[in-house]
Amino acid sequence: MDSRDSSSAVASDAARDASLLSEDAAVLSVTSTLAKSALSCFQSGKFEDCIDILIQLDQKQHNDPKVLHNMAIAEYFKGGCSKSKKLLEELNCVKKQSEELASAAREQVEAVNPGTNVSVSKDQFDSTVTTLNIAVTWFHMHQYTKSSSILEPLFQNIGRLDETIALQISFLLLDIALACHDAVKFLAVFDYMDKAFGVGFGSHEENGSTMQLSSNQGSKTSSLLSSSVVADTVAESSLCEETLDYDNVLAEIAAEKRMKSVGHIPANNLLKTLSERSFSTADLKLELQLYKVRFLLLTRNLKLAKREVKHAMNIAQKRDSSMALLLKSQLEYAHGNHQKAMKLLVVSGIHKESGTSGIFNNNLGCIYYQLGKYEASSQLFSKALRSCSSLRNEKPVKTFSLSQNKSLLITYNMGLLYLARGEPLLAAQCFQKASVVFCRQPLIWLRLAECCMMALQNGLLDRSEIRVNVVGKGKYRKLMIEENGHLELDGSTQCGKLSLPLARACLSNGIYLLNESLLNESKSDRESTLSVGMNETKEASSADHGEANTNSDLKEAKGGLNQDIMQSSLSAFKDIQSREKLLIKQALLANMAYVELELENPIKALAAANSLLQLPDCSKIYVFLGHLYAAEALCLLNRPVEAGAHLSAYLVGPDDFKLPYEQEDFDQWRMNTSSDCEETLDSSTGNARDSVFLKPEEARGALFADLAALLATQGHHDQAKAMITHALTLLPNNVQATVTAVYIDMMLGRSQDALTRLKQCTRVSFVPGRLEVRAS
Amino acid sequence: MNRSTTVLMKIEESATVLSLLKSDLLPMEAVLSEFNSKLQSSSHLAVCNSLSMMLQEQKMLCGTERLIAFGIIYKCYSSQKPSFNPFLSEMISAACNEQLEKSERAFLLHLLQWNNYNNVKEILKQSAVDYIRSFDPSTHDFPELGELQREYGDKADPGPSSHIFADYSLKKLLHDPDVPRGCDPDSPEFDVQPGGNPRIGSGDRDEALSGLLENSTMAGLAPRWIRPCPPRYSVHQSELLWIDPDNKHELVWDDKMCADTSRGATVRDLLVKGLKMTLSPSEQEDITTELTNDPKLVYHCGITARKLPQLVEHNPQIAVEILTKLNNNKEILDEFLAALVNMDMSLHSMEVVNRLTTAVELPKEFIRSYITNCISSCENAKQDKYMQNRLVRLVCVFLQSLIRNNIINVKDLFIEVQAFCIEFSRVREAAGLFRLLKTLE
Repeated sequence: MDSRDSSSAVASDAARDASLLSEDAAVLSVTSTLAKSALSCFQSGKFEDCIDILIQLDQKQHNDPKVLHNMAIAEYFKGGCSKSKKLLEELNCVKKQSEELASAAREQVEAVNPGTNVSVSKDQFDSTVTTLNIAVTWFHMHQYTKSSSILEPLFQNIGRLDETIALQISFLLLDIALACHDAVKFLAVFDYMDKAFGVGFGSHEENGSTMQLSSNQGSKTSSLLSSSVVADTVAESSLCEETLDYDNVLAEIAAEKRMKSVGHIPANNLLKTLSERSFSTADLKLELQLYKVRFLLLTRNLKLAKREVKHAMNIAQKRDSSMALLLKSQLEYAHGNHQKAMKLLVVSGIHKESGTSGIFNNNLGCIYYQLGKYEASSQLFSKALRSCSSLRNEKPVKTFSLSQNKSLLITYNMGLLYLARGEPLLAAQCFQKASVVFCRQPLIWLRLAECCMMALQNGLLDRSEIRVNVVGKGKYRKLMIEENGHLELDGSTQCGKLSLPLARACLSNGIYLLNESLLNESKSDRESTLSVGMNETKEASSADHGEANTNSDLKEAKGGLNQDIMQSSLSAFKDIQSREKLLIKQALLANMAYVELELENPIKALAAANSLLQLPDCSKIYVFLGHLYAAEALCLLNRPVEAGAHLSAYLVGPDDFKLPYEQEDFDQWRMNTSSDCEETLDSSTGNARDSVFLKPEEARGALFADLAALLATQGHHDQAKAMITHALTLLPNNVQATVTAVYIDMMLGRSQDALTRLKQCTRVSFVPGRLEVRAS
Repeated sequence: MNRSTTVLMKIEESATVLSLLKSDLLPMEAVLSEFNSKLQSSSHLAVCNSLSMMLQEQKMLCGTERLIAFGIIYKCYSSQKPSFNPFLSEMISAACNEQLEKSERAFLLHLLQWNNYNNVKEILKQSAVDYIRSFDPSTHDFPELGELQREYGDKADPGPSSHIFADYSLKKLLHDPDVPRGCDPDSPEFDVQPGGNPRIGSGDRDEALSGLLENSTMAGLAPRWIRPCPPRYSVHQSELLWIDPDNKHELVWDDKMCADTSRGATVRDLLVKGLKMTLSPSEQEDITTELTNDPKLVYHCGITARKLPQLVEHNPQIAVEILTKLNNNKEILDEFLAALVNMDMSLHSMEVVNRLTTAVELPKEFIRSYITNCISSCENAKQDKYMQNRLVRLVCVFLQSLIRNNIINVKDLFIEVQAFCIEFSRVREAAGLFRLLKTLE
């Protein structure tokens, strides 16, 4: 208040203010004491006492949004962190209220006393913490997009926020970006953190990467200290190599200090200490380095990740290096060095803690899956799920254990495993559960559709046989070839809820989401220039308080290097992603065409097959399927000529087909699934073998058989005969080809040939008529 | 293709149909009306389908049975125009088939009501046996197949299926007579003789008929398309989710609740300003007083270790003030000092350290680190001799001040500082510092 005395004009005002303040102060001291004890109750986990105090506070400070906010948080913890929905409602309510109060207060202040500093009311009704908590809650409910959209406005103004809160927001955004595989967003946040928090630890890393802000600072320094301008800049540039030593020394000091006082703190527990307002620079440095590695792993820049993880290990030396080891293990896993990955995973020691043992089991399960050891993998995933659920049921809610609840992710892995083992029902259950998290990703919908189709195939094993009814005896014995009359009965009983209509719905979801994301991609490509522009203005504004950037060019170039590396691995990742999206799109459309054919919708099947064929750079296998499905759909639409055109795309000469795809195409596809096949060969459930696709020669056989079928319907029985003979040499025992051959024989009046053919085919079952069955 | 319209006849129905086929002595009208009364219209299609299949085999049904079978097919669709009968084409081709009995062909023409064959009603009043017996082939002339097809063909309903595979499907039986090799399966010796022992290869026609009636399905044999199921989308290694533990994103307690925010506000605002420019003396004074009045204010005045370097450069005095106030909290002070060590060396930072040494007792480790930092800064400033000299002079003055004030124990740093003095002996201050060291030795 002394400051007011300096201007005598406002002396009377000041006196009035002072008297008001002293009154307020009395109330304030009571309430702030209460507030303090509420906090200490909260921190020691006495939520009931805490709530009691908060109720008292609420009576004193009627409808103070901050009291209500803390009350909601305390109630939530008291209820064992189970009523997330209720918490969200209350927090949203508080947020709205404080926004209203803030705008009301602003108006009032400005009306009474224009030009006054409004920081008081701004502070009092600031809803940043509330907003953050809403985002945190959505995050734990795996609603990443919602959480991110709530944080977005906070991140826009992050420079104005308290450092602790800013860090919390940034870390949350990083985790959200990782969960969504959103490398673009990750880099945006990481860049900010690099600049804002990278300052203190003079990050002159061995790879020469330098934080940009530090250079700005340096130049600003030089411009202000006119006397020692040059001296300083020289000192500054000479310092870069040395700072590393200090860093290490400091890290060591800090590490030793921590080891003695606190014991084992997982490296990534940084935020826990955040609330106490003190976190070491070294902690933050390690944390950012670990996130950098995670970014490189996400963008599959393994080469760089290897270098950076080494650096992380250096920083983590003598500290807790479990996280760095875990990332190293992930790196080896990505490289396919499964033994090494396993070793590192064990060394990381995360299985020793109940909080992370589920994660350990999951990751080990992933390794075993890649090794093709499904039994072990399955056991590990179940173990992981069990430890997750026991974590959830832990009674004293000490930490926010929901945050480590990864059960839905593990469930997704489990689903993939069941699918590989040929158990579509269980797989579908897993995918349906996991869809809470992944419902925005096209791939999960493809997987669900695959479950449906696999279930259908498993339920209809009969279909791969020809049923011939034997009626009558002796000279009257007749054979009736049956046309899948039993299809629906078997299908509906064995497949549970899985069905072709469900497959269709899933596929169209997938296609919709994929198109949407492709659209966004092209949009963001256009916008990217815009966002870069924004970045530049930001940089300019951060640099403008150091007007003359005389000597910092060199260092900026260095800082740019670090950014360039991440930027280039981001753009490489974008390429990978769009390639993968294209692959998924091929699969989705091919499956769609197939399912529509199964559902007897040739028009839709044709549309799907045509869009498949129109895709750029479509793989040869899918092109083949596209032609085959389109041709069949056209046949069903009575457009045989167009159907023929699709097949004749593969014709060489008048009556021979080339291979629709090469062995290498096939191998490439098989290589990805090879581990699947290894196990299925010796496992008892051989169902997964259904997924083994046609070899190139077999595909050629299919072309012959289908052309034969087409020719037969056109009355060209002799040509058809030649084709089907080719087909049967390539696909002996193929059911469809045999049926077509029998048909052609009969149309040519050679029923004796047909009879022989049927009797020679191993996949024909002769079913006695009902009367005989009854008699015997 | 896999049209799954499975319409199997029930056993009772097939027995009824079989007995009706045998009623060759009853007026056909009566047989047909009995058919109508005993079978529901929903099973008509299936019955007609089976009958048409059997009619295609000339030896399966005898003459009277064929008449009744055609009669049934006719009756089922008699309420509609002939062209709606899905079995029309089979009736037409039978009517023109010269291998068949003329009586049967005439009967069919009556059913089709072709030209002057128009007394269906009269004919149906007879029994099948009577019709055949009274039939006079000389009074009839038979049309060519083409004629009939022209008459009805355009109007013919394409039938229950609509795509080419179904259209071309064959409803045909395969003969597989189970008779000893070399025997003529058509010989009557293989028919079951009433009372006689069944011999190898013998078969009962009625049994076969009812078997066919029961087992036939709607769909015929059609060419089949090979429709490979698309391959399962390969599991890329990144699809399997590798999990890293997150940071624990806890809910945050709002510690500004009921906090007295008014007091710190001015200080905080001033300090934000102070990070960017030198504050006026009165502003500096304001901050100093406020900090003295509220000893806790320093913890939430908005200055953190990371912001410290900026403050040092613009307002070293305030920085000293804050660092002095933080002296009680060792942990936080360490953070701030670390920031000080790490920031680029400058006049201001040395000034801050120098003043701080007189105000509070600093950790020896810190001072040592700071001096080492200063010395190495000088050593590294090789590019510009002039600048290096300036820097060396600054450091020397700083060190002399520290030594004179007994802040550092010279013994700890003796070798380092001596080496420094020797290296830069060309600088006057360094020589002075060296002499000072010698006097202390």
